[in-house]
Amino acid sequence: MRISREVAHHKIPSAAILVAMLIYLFAQSAANARDIHYGAIDDPQLHQCDQQYWRGLIQESTECYREILASNTTAAIKAESAWALNDLQQANRWFQQAMRETPDDVGTRTRWGDLYADSHQDGEAMDLYSEGLALEPNHAFAKLGAARVLAGGFDDAANILLEPLLSDATIDDGVRVGAWLLVARVALENSNQAEALAAMATAEEIINRHDWPPLQLYALRAAADLLQNKSESRWTTLSLEYNPHFGDIYAVPAHFYVITRRYRDAIDMYQKAVDIEPGLASAHEELGVNLLRDNQMTRARKHLETAHEVDPFSPIAVNTLRLLDSFTNFRLITDPQLAADSGEVPITLRLHKDEADVIAPYAIKLTRDSIDEFTRRYNFELSEGVVIEMYPDHEDFAVRTAGMPGIGILGATFGYVVAMDSPTARPAEHFQWGTTLWHEMAHVFTLEASDHLVPRWFSEGVSVFEEWRSGPNPGVRIPMSVYNAMKDDRFLPIAGLDEGFVRPTYDEQVIVSYMQAGLVCQFIDQRYGEKKLSELLYAYKDGLQTPEAIELVLEISPAQFDREFAAFVATEHGVILDNLEEWHETQIEISQLIDAADWQGTIESANRLLELLPVYTEPDSPYLALSLAEDELGNADAATAALENFWRNGGYDPDSLKELGRRFREDERTDDAIAVLMSSNLVDPFDEDLHGMLGELLLVRGRAEEALQEFTVALALDPHDKAVAHYRLATAHHDLGDKSRTQNHLLQALDVAPNYRPAQRLLLEVMQVDATN
Amino acid sequence: MVVTSSLEHDLKPLLILCGLMSVLLPAISKAELYVVVIEGLAGDGVYAEQFATQVAAVTEASKTLTTDNRVYVFPARSVTREDVLDHFTTLGTQITASDRLAVYLIGHGSYDDYEYKFNIAGPDLTGDDLAQALSELPGGNQLVVNTSSASGALADALMNDERMLILATRSGAERHATKFGNYFAAALGDPGADLDKNQVISAGEAYRFAERQVDDYFERNGQLATEHSRIEGDRTDRFSLARLGASRPDRDDDVLAELIARREALNGQLDELRLSRDAMSAGDYQETLLQKLLELAQTENEIEAREGELGREN
Repeated sequence: MRISREVAHHKIPSAAILVAMLIYLFAQSAANARDIHYGAIDDPQLHQCDQQYWRGLIQESTECYREILASNTTAAIKAESAWALNDLQQANRWFQQAMRETPDDVGTRTRWGDLYADSHQDGEAMDLYSEGLALEPNHAFAKLGAARVLAGGFDDAANILLEPLLSDATIDDGVRVGAWLLVARVALENSNQAEALAAMATAEEIINRHDWPPLQLYALRAAADLLQNKSESRWTTLSLEYNPHFGDIYAVPAHFYVITRRYRDAIDMYQKAVDIEPGLASAHEELGVNLLRDNQMTRARKHLETAHEVDPFSPIAVNTLRLLDSFTNFRLITDPQLAADSGEVPITLRLHKDEADVIAPYAIKLTRDSIDEFTRRYNFELSEGVVIEMYPDHEDFAVRTAGMPGIGILGATFGYVVAMDSPTARPAEHFQWGTTLWHEMAHVFTLEASDHLVPRWFSEGVSVFEEWRSGPNPGVRIPMSVYNAMKDDRFLPIAGLDEGFVRPTYDEQVIVSYMQAGLVCQFIDQRYGEKKLSELLYAYKDGLQTPEAIELVLEISPAQFDREFAAFVATEHGVILDNLEEWHETQIEISQLIDAADWQGTIESANRLLELLPVYTEPDSPYLALSLAEDELGNADAATAALENFWRNGGYDPDSLKELGRRFREDERTDDAIAVLMSSNLVDPFDEDLHGMLGELLLVRGRAEEALQEFTVALALDPHDKAVAHYRLATAHHDLGDKSRTQNHLLQALDVAPNYRPAQRLLLEVMQVDATN
Repeated sequence: MVVTSSLEHDLKPLLILCGLMSVLLPAISKAELYVVVIEGLAGDGVYAEQFATQVAAVTEASKTLTTDNRVYVFPARSVTREDVLDHFTTLGTQITASDRLAVYLIGHGSYDDYEYKFNIAGPDLTGDDLAQALSELPGGNQLVVNTSSASGALADALMNDERMLILATRSGAERHATKFGNYFAAALGDPGADLDKNQVISAGEAYRFAERQVDDYFERNGQLATEHSRIEGDRTDRFSLARLGASRPDRDDDVLAELIARREALNGQLDELRLSRDAMSAGDYQETLLQKLLELAQTENEIEAREGELGREN
């Protein structure tokens, strides 16, 4: 939904007409959030209204703005008044008229751009700022507006625009205040308290000099206090004295709770914000989004709907409400085997109804296993049930996570709620959903055990390390791009490792940081013992930062830690790092050898690479080339051995695992076949053949209960050959001694295929047993 | 076949018979199966290998139901339009109205909005060529399987009341090289395609198997499907294309004949039961089904036992 610069009317979908009318009525009833403009508009009557509004005199200010609209003042001032009354359409029309009357008025054009920015239409806003700057290249308010939009999109170009506004003392004070407040906010987000405080001090001096409302400054100061663990800030008190209805005094600090993943604290703060300023759409929206992160669906919907009513232009509210509507296509599944008085942590899955029957058995087991493993390992018991959501459409997951599509992550943990891509959201060869779930479950523990105070690097490090150590498909998997970064000495010091996640400076730094964090945790585990990871977690819970936590728990300085870690990396990965060039050259050579069908050459080259790095199981793993070449030369056993090594080192390519399972079965290595096919399930559970094969192997081993699960999943996949699917289920039920279900599935099999001999024989056997009883 | 005319007025018994025939047709029919396999030009090595594999699979499967001399293969390296048309002319002197004919076209096709062409060396084989050649043959029990790109364009030219068509694409507009042929050929030897477990792969079963595999292929690879197969004719489930496993030898034995007749009757009764399903309570249906299936299973045991006795006697 967008407002238009060019047309006076607004296209509203029919379903939204009623909502639009409510918005209109609402807009007519009270003044609403419109940022302090620090002298950008110089009009005495508007100034009087704004003063009332900023002091929290809502009724008076509303009357005041309405009087302006009824007066014969300029279109630009009427636009400001309509905007203050939250009638954005009317404001847009007045700005359009103002531009027709005074097209060279860059100040008004900039305010028009601010209106667009306020209604989430950054592109239109930037166009207007650019048009203004074309007319008046040094227009400082236009530059500030553009800088704000760019900063909101994490665009470095914001700095280019901001720099002169900060350094040139001759620039309008209103612009400088805006610029310094923007700097302060970004500095707080970057955990740079000193820079933030200095920026706020400069802004405060100017604000005081002009007697401008200090509300935004107070909100940032309260946020700074919060980041220093001062939950009761005097700035909050001062703000409420100045304006008891300024919701941002809570909403701005709440944002910093969100970015430090303290979602429940954020919820409390946003609730306070909307309590004192019920029309603050942004706070309702954030409240709704964070309530969803806490699995409070009904309450979340209410606030998102309010946000949408007040601010129909917010894509986050619209996207999230649409996602909530789509939940009718999802099923909630609880652990069916969990007795009410078991004392176990309840597990709830939210799965798409088309996938639920296939994913649920594995997801529940994996989640339960992870809880058992991490409870023991990190000496922490979860106090609430865990909710796991899986989305077959990645963009739904993105909206669930950030309110907007377009994020590249696979899973997100908000505490006791985990959201992630479902196995069908990505190609199986690129996505181990089981490992991702394991990774996210580790986050549940690190977040909750530390009261959400764990730094990003440590939480990610533990999750990556647990993937490698205890995950469903264990093995140290490091992409070659990360080895390249290691070779270039791009690992960060431990004290600054978080920077690699939150402020990456090169393309692949985030993935490099993930791997470094995982290696750091592996190093701590190996060098100092497994308890040290949980001790670090509790140090973070006590409010320590990384340098102090390292010193307290490991009794070593961060600098010394960095030296020891570097030595560990050199020991563990020195061979590949010293031969990285040879690795890359040989990889290219292998591709050429395969193209030329030079299988002996392929074998020699693959073996050379595996000497350098035997644990490399990414999609271009030498094991796969080796297996192919051995097969081509008729060396089936050697080919199987290569595949087996691939799997045992953490390889997860689903076709390769399935092939290995087949070979194990043919070689009568039943237990190995079961193991490899089970790990394949955690990569590609939608492979019907796999479940059938695995179920039959399990039956051979007398594991009828597990076989039954596999055959049940196979039937849920709507198999082509339903007679076989039902027959297999009958055999599992038969082994479990369930005559009724055996007979039922045999009838279903024979109804499709009456002459199906194995089913006929089993039916006769079952009925004969029945007759003798 | 003899009884068909007397049942034409009553759809239900006809369907029963059809179900019965699907199980027993290869064993009891005197009609012969003739097969013509035409391999088209591949264009590159990858397709050449695929087409050769498909031709081999189709040929091998066909020989499980008919004699070698009734399976005629035109390899891509030597086939010409003239050879093919001559063969159909010759076939017209051999085939009878009660025989069955399966024609496979395995290769690439093209369609220029006017005419379908199957690509072979020299002049291509056109849809009109095929239509004319097939219409001049006695009888109408014909199946054409065309796995080529744009093969859907053949439907208008070849469709008639009797002929069955299996085409890899919905229309001539689907011009990409197809996956369908690989899966169709594989179906002829895959027990997973034998949905009714009668050890015979019918044209309908092979089609459904291939159709599903094609769908899965595009879905699993996250690609927009560039082909949508089609099937025409309502007797494809009764048109057998391959037998799985060894055929049972014919025995001149009254006991065995009686048992087989009982099996046929039970299969017919089961078909009739299925057709009556909506008119019955679930309980009644299950109970009757169970009884019939038990009888059928027991009869099959007796057939096997009798065959064993006869084998030992010999």
